[in-house]
Formats: sequence, structure tokens, C-alpha cells
Amino acid sequence: MNVSIVPGLRALRPAALVGGTLFLGLLVGYWANATWYPGTSPEQPIEFSHRIHAGENEIPCMYCHTQARRSISAGVPSVSKCVGCHKEIATERPQIRKLMSYWQNEEPIPWIKVHDLPDFVHFTHKRHVSAYARAAGIECQTCHGPVETMDRIRVTSRAIDGSFQLDTPWEMGLCLNCHRQHQVEHGTDCWTCHK
Amino acid sequence: MPNIERRDFLKLVGAGSVGVGAGFYLRESIKHPMEHLIPHVVAPEDFSTGIDTWYNTVCSMCAAGCGISVRTREGRVKKIEGNPSHPVSQGRLCALGQAGPQVLYNPDRLTGPLMQTGERGSGAFAQITWDEGLSKVADRLDLLRAAERGNRVCLLSQGVRGHLAQLFERFVDQLGSERLLHYDFDHPHTLYAANQRFFGEQRLPYYDLKNTRYLLSFGADYLGSWISPVHHSLGFGHSRQGRPDVRGRFVQIEPRMSLSGAAADEWIAARPGTEGLLALAVAHHILSKGYYQGADRADWIAVLAGYTTTEVAAQTGVPAETIVRLADAFAQTQPSLAIGGGSAGNHSNGVDTLVAVNALNYLVGNLGKAGGLVFNPEPAGPTTHPHQASYRTMLEFVEDARRGNIEVLIVNGTNPVFTLPSAAGFAEALAEIPLIVSLSSFLDETTALADVILPSHTYLESWGDDFPEPGVGFPVGAVSQPVASPLYDTRATGDIILGLAQRLDMNDVLPWSSMEDCIKDGWRQIHERGGGDVRTESFESFWRAVLTAGVWGEETHRESTFTLDKSVIAGIGVQAPEFSGASDDYPFILHPYLSTTLHDGRAANLPWLQELPDPMTSVVYGSWVEMNPVTAKGLGLTEGDLVDIESPHGRIRAPVYVYPAIMPDVIAMPIGQGHAEYGRYARNRGVNPIEILSPQMEPQTGSLASSATRVKITATGRRAELVKTGGNSRDLGRNIVQTTGAGQHSANLNSIPITVIPS
Ligand code: SF4
Repeated sequence: MNVSIVPGLRALRPAALVGGTLFLGLLVGYWANATWYPGTSPEQPIEFSHRIHAGENEIPCMYCHTQARRSISAGVPSVSKCVGCHKEIATERPQIRKLMSYWQNEEPIPWIKVHDLPDFVHFTHKRHVSAYARAAGIECQTCHGPVETMDRIRVTSRAIDGSFQLDTPWEMGLCLNCHRQHQVEHGTDCWTCHK
Repeated sequence: MPNIERRDFLKLVGAGSVGVGAGFYLRESIKHPMEHLIPHVVAPEDFSTGIDTWYNTVCSMCAAGCGISVRTREGRVKKIEGNPSHPVSQGRLCALGQAGPQVLYNPDRLTGPLMQTGERGSGAFAQITWDEGLSKVADRLDLLRAAERGNRVCLLSQGVRGHLAQLFERFVDQLGSERLLHYDFDHPHTLYAANQRFFGEQRLPYYDLKNTRYLLSFGADYLGSWISPVHHSLGFGHSRQGRPDVRGRFVQIEPRMSLSGAAADEWIAARPGTEGLLALAVAHHILSKGYYQGADRADWIAVLAGYTTTEVAAQTGVPAETIVRLADAFAQTQPSLAIGGGSAGNHSNGVDTLVAVNALNYLVGNLGKAGGLVFNPEPAGPTTHPHQASYRTMLEFVEDARRGNIEVLIVNGTNPVFTLPSAAGFAEALAEIPLIVSLSSFLDETTALADVILPSHTYLESWGDDFPEPGVGFPVGAVSQPVASPLYDTRATGDIILGLAQRLDMNDVLPWSSMEDCIKDGWRQIHERGGGDVRTESFESFWRAVLTAGVWGEETHRESTFTLDKSVIAGIGVQAPEFSGASDDYPFILHPYLSTTLHDGRAANLPWLQELPDPMTSVVYGSWVEMNPVTAKGLGLTEGDLVDIESPHGRIRAPVYVYPAIMPDVIAMPIGQGHAEYGRYARNRGVNPIEILSPQMEPQTGSLASSATRVKITATGRRAELVKTGGNSRDLGRNIVQTTGAGQHSANLNSIPITVIPS
């Protein structure tokens, strides 16, 4: 008797076609999300521009992010700090009006976090902006990218070759790369970052 | 172009779109979740984001009054450590103190004022506002005061010290009432009475464990739960290992080995209630050997004549040679110290027993010197010992309530429904009281029966102050400050009382607008009086310094010349203990002990402490009954067998734990579990041995002789596996404990190469 699987396969063809289309769709959807909605530069409640503040007006980073030199977190300025300048400056702009309405309602501005390390990483700003770090040429931009050119903050990290890579978050290899380059003491010990 | 049917085409389009959607959401779902960075509206002055701020305050988990340092981050409490500057805790803390954050963040906290809407105990409560709650209570108080029936109001609180105590006193007094009661199950009434009788002082002396060379402890579990365990542990450590040339020796006399017994050099089991006899036999030997040569020697010899070592040996079950050995060591090792308390004080002869222990210190000259017993100065601020209610006082209260003489009961922090034996009839008496108000932070058994609940802050949110008792030999005071803003709509106990006082026009005696005011005012007086290690011109800088240090004090030593009254000597003597229940029907003596972790049950709602293994048995989350292996064998019981423990006053059920370090006719049970209320972690877990205690009292103080209940054990035939971290206590050939003969040992010693490391 002659046994053939061909008829069986033929019967399967429509199903395979549907499956294939489904899979293709999956890839397209994934790609579309990654390309157009990377989520690495979320829209903020107020269109605050680092380009205007840090770039054009050359306000030092730590004028607003006062905690960076003392604390693990850099800290976001309090609403009162923003109001301190904007009572006088650019008061008519719509975004500043928005700021003032937060202030009048005594509400905090719900900024969205852009740079975020996983909770199992112990990162401290204090160390990375210390005099040692500055002497070694580490600036805020070293990790955060050219913030002073960004209107809206975007996830940025530094590739192994030293170039900025936009929309790519920091990963352990990239941290280690820098720690090695600068020969940081205990810079590659597990416990330095994972404690 | 292949022919494609309409149906197939639609299928493909469908599949494609589903695929695109799924792909889109697949990536969306693996994205880092969005987090917010919420700034402050106005930057606070007292903390910076990401940086710890430490506040010094006082632990209120037990009566010891340790100083604590609380680590806060962004205004939230994260961790509690000991305050290194506080002389009681010196930077250390016990498990209870460590568990403080779980009081603050407990999910079962009462979050605002409540009113019982159904039957009492039905658990039906409705939320009310503070104004409603306070007015409701104040109106009733006002009526009673106007009708000159103020004495029908009772304020029943846990022991509190400092200016809150004073506030209570004045408030109750203003109402025209004399019913201010502080009730704590573990308050050492007999110890106070014994010291009053012997030293003529209504306060505890300082027991200088730190500098002693030889400690005789009669029943006092000083490392686990007695009076000031953290401070005693520090002293114990120093005495053992802190001095290069001396190592203190510790002897523990108790029927069941406690944590202190396990840490001691020698553990001696005397029959329950005969500890005082043993002390007198030691005294007898001290006199007959001529160690004591004071002028009143003849009086002592006369009064101790009946307590020869041989006679007492028969009564206590401790061999005469042992008594002689203890007496010799106690008299010859100087400085030495005898302490007594715990189960030894909780018998019908408790006061006499502890007086006998004091006599030992007197006879070998341990009084008023380092390494012995140091007298404490007058506390620098108010304390409440005079209002501490004994069991007898509570019975009188119950009787009054039954007769309808109590119309309003305000309960603060204490939980007598749980910590009084059921024989006292407290819960039933509550039914006769028309208005019960509770100021507790939790819905404990007593609060569940309240009509109005005005929940107070936890100690981490309140202002307060403390003058530790026992002191440390010199004046110490500490301010307790809020280390976190209140989490809920609660108020500090003092503020609740002040709120009532304001509604009742008591402004001339209680002029403060808040507890903070009251405390500050009290400390202003301390500042004016001078003294202490903080000396500043202005009160403001003094106050800031005290708040920063968390403690204030002065390391002076009180000069005391102590002369003993002859009448005291004549009154020395210890009767045989009385037990309730016939020994034929109830063959065992129940030894209930304060749990090292749950204390008297107040910490049973803290999961950290529930899961912390008991230091002696390693059992977690439950109750058990400890039994000597011989007893267990005789009853045919093994670990985990459920038994009924029955006294003339009730019956409870718990699994057996076979414990070698307990006398065969004694069974022991930890106190702390067996809550019917008090939140999800405490409820329906284990049993409460206090429930079945016989209402036997120590006649002089009227305190409960809680170690004097006889019980019988009946097997139920059922089992309940104990949850414990310890494995088998026997070696079982695993060679865990390696042994060697004495000869082999010295041979080994000689052959060990010793490297001397130059310092
Ligand atoms: S002994 Fe423990 S619970 Fe008591 S005050 Fe000290 S730390 Fe707190």
C-alpha cells in the first residue's frame, strides 16, 4: 500500500497560512511599538525643556538637582524652587501657567521617571559627582547624555566605545566598562552595586 | 495571482491584525513600568531625599524605657536601633524594641474614632469624628461631675511615666475621682513591697550586674523579661567578658530554666515557692560561718535559727552541700549580688522571699557599692508607681463595677480582659459599666468591648517623656518625640485627655493646648532646677540639646548610708508557699512565664515577633506546654501530643514540648498567645495560660501569685505538630558535639601550636 503524507499536508496548508500571517503580524506589531512608542522619552506633565534651562541659560545641573552631591538620589526640585524663578520669568507662557496652577493648588508635579535602574542595583549619585569623579572627568552628561540639547529627556547610555546610545538604558556591562576604564577601587566587586 | 476565496482572505486579514495587536502589546507589557518622580511642593527643612535622618526617642514596648534612635528616610520610619547615649540601652535593643516599626505600620491599627453600633463585642462599629467622640465622652463626664458623682469615673491605663502620668493624675482629680489605676500583668508589686520593707524606699534600686563578680538570681529572668532586660544583658556581657582579669559567675535558681538560666554558670532547680527558704538558708550559713560580724549579728542568728541548711534542703530539694557551696562563694567573692523576682516573687510568700534576698545583700555588704545594689536617687520627673493596681485592687474595681458604682471607664493601652485570669470576672463586670471608652491603637480584647474608641497614636508618633524605673543609679530623663507624622486620624493619648479637659473647663489645672506644650513645660522646670549634663542659659537651647541627645542625666552617685531597722530583722521569715487546688487532683504546678518575644501578649500582633523562635524551645507561632521527659514518659506523651491543662478555674489545650530543664512536677507555659482579638496576626493562635490561673494572692501586696496554680494534664489523643526551627536535641550519632577525655584533652592542648600575634 502506498502511504503518502502529501494529502495531509495539503489539508494543513490553510492553517499554516493563517499561522504564518499571525506570526508575521506579531513581528510587525512588536517592531511598530519599538519604533514609534519606545517609551524612552515619555511626555511629561509640563513640557519642561532642559535645552532652555541647562543649555541656553547654562544653569548648572546641581542648582536644581541639589541632592546629587549628598544623596543617593539626585532629587527633583520642589515646586517652590521652580516658582522661585518663574514668579518673574516667562510668566505668560502656557507651560508656566500650568506650573503656577500646580503651585496654587499646592500639588506636586507628577514627573515621569526616565532614568531608572532596577531596585537590585545600589547606585548613588553622591559617589559619581564627588570631587574624585569630577577629577576623572565624569560629568552628569557622562551618564545622562547631552541633556542640555534635549527638550524632552530621553533615555541615554554610553556604549562600550564611549559614544552615546539613545533610547538604550544602562546595563551592567556598561557600568563595569566605565569602572574598569577608571580603575575604580572595588569597582567590579559584586557587593559594590548589589547589596 | 493565486485565487483566494473571500473567506480565506478574511481569515488572513483577521490573523494578521490579531498578530499585530498581540506583538504591540507584547512589547508594551515588557516595558519598564512607568514610575513617577513626585517632588515636594515646598522642600522640607528636616530631611533630604535619599538621606537618612535619625531621631532619638524612647521605646515604649515595655516598662524598661530604653532610649532608641530611629532611622527615617523621607519622613518615614525605616529602622530602630538603640540610642548609644542613653544609659539604659547604650545603643542596644531587644527584639521587642526592634519590632517597633511593625506597631507603626501594623495593618490592624485603628485609623480613626469609632462608636460601637451593635451589641458590645459584636464588632459593629461606625466611624465618628473626633469632635463627636470627645463631646460624647465629655458630656457624660460633665454630668457626673456636676452631680458630684465624679468618683464613678475610672481611668485604667497601662503603666506610664513622665508628664503623661501627671496629666492623668490631675485629670482624674479634677473629675473628683480617685479611681486612677495602672494595671500591668508584669508589674513587680512584690519587689517594690520588699524594697519598701527592707530599704524604706518605694522604688527599685539599681542592680549593678556589670561590676559584680558573683550573681545569685532567685527566679529573676534578667536577660529575658525581668524589669530591664537590655540593660541587664549589657551588664551580664561586661561582667562575663568585659574585664581582663575577672569573669563574673552567675547562678540561677528557678524551677524551669529560662534564658538567664541557660546563660548562667549554674542552674539550680528549687521547688516552686521555696526560693526564699533557700535564701534564708544561705543567710544562715553566712552567719554560722561568721562571714557577718555586724552589731545586729545576734538578732540575725535568732531570726534565722529555723533555716538550717539541712532543714531547708529537705524543703527545697536542693542538697545541703549545694547551699553551703553557694553561701561560701556568695560571701567570699566580692562584690557579689543577689537579685530576686519573676516566678520567685509571684507566690503567696513573694514579698517575704524577696525580703530574704535583700537580706543576703545586706549580710555580705553589697549595699550601696559598685557591683552590688546601688540606691537610686529620687526620679527627676513624675512616676506612677503609687497608682499601680494589684490584683486585689482590680478585684475591688470589678466588685464596684458589678454594684453599678462605675459609670464611665476610660481604658488606655492596657488589656485586662486578656491579662487578668478569667476568675477575676473582669469581662463580665464590664457589662455593668454604662460607658466604656478605649484609647488603644488596636482593637484588643478590652477595646472590642468599648462603646467609644478614641484611638491614640503609637509611641513613634507622640510626644512624651520618661524617667526610667529602675534608674541606673543616677538621675536620667528622656524625651520621646514624634519621629513620623501621624499615619492616620489618631491623636496622642495626652492630647485626647487634654481635649476632654478643654471641653470640661479644666484650663486652670491643665492649661496646655497640646501634649507637646505639656512636656515642654515640664522640662522647663527641669531646666530651671539645673543639674544634669546639659547646661545652657536659655531653655530653647536646652530643649534642642535634650531632643538631639534623646536623653538627659547626670552621672553622680547618691551617697547613702543605710542602717537597718531592728524591726525589719525581726520580721524576716518565709512561710511555705500555698497553692490552690489539691495536689491529688491537680498534681502539677503551672509555671507561666513572660514570653521573651511577645511579653505579656502585647506584641502578639507583630509578625516579626510571632515568627521569632523562642530562645529556649525554638518554637514559633503558637503555644506549648513544657514538660520534663520523665513526666512526659510517665504520662505516655511525646512532643506534639495535645493535652488539656486544667486548673480549678479553667481548661486550655496545647501541644507538649519535652523540656529537660524543668522540675518533674512543674509544667511551664509561655504567656503571650491566645488572643481572641488584636488583629490578624494575634487572633486565634495558641492559648493564654493567664486565663486559667487561680486567684491566689500574695497577702501583703494583693498581687496575683501567678506561679501558684496547680493543674492536671489529660491527654486528648490528638496531635499538633509544633512549628519550630530546632531539630532533634539529641546527637543521634551525628557527632555534632564532639567529646574528648580529660587526659586526651591536655595532651591535645600541649601539642597545639600556638601563634602569638604581637599587638
Ligand atoms: S527592654 Fe526592649 S521593649 Fe523594653 S524598653 Fe528596652 S528595647 Fe524596648
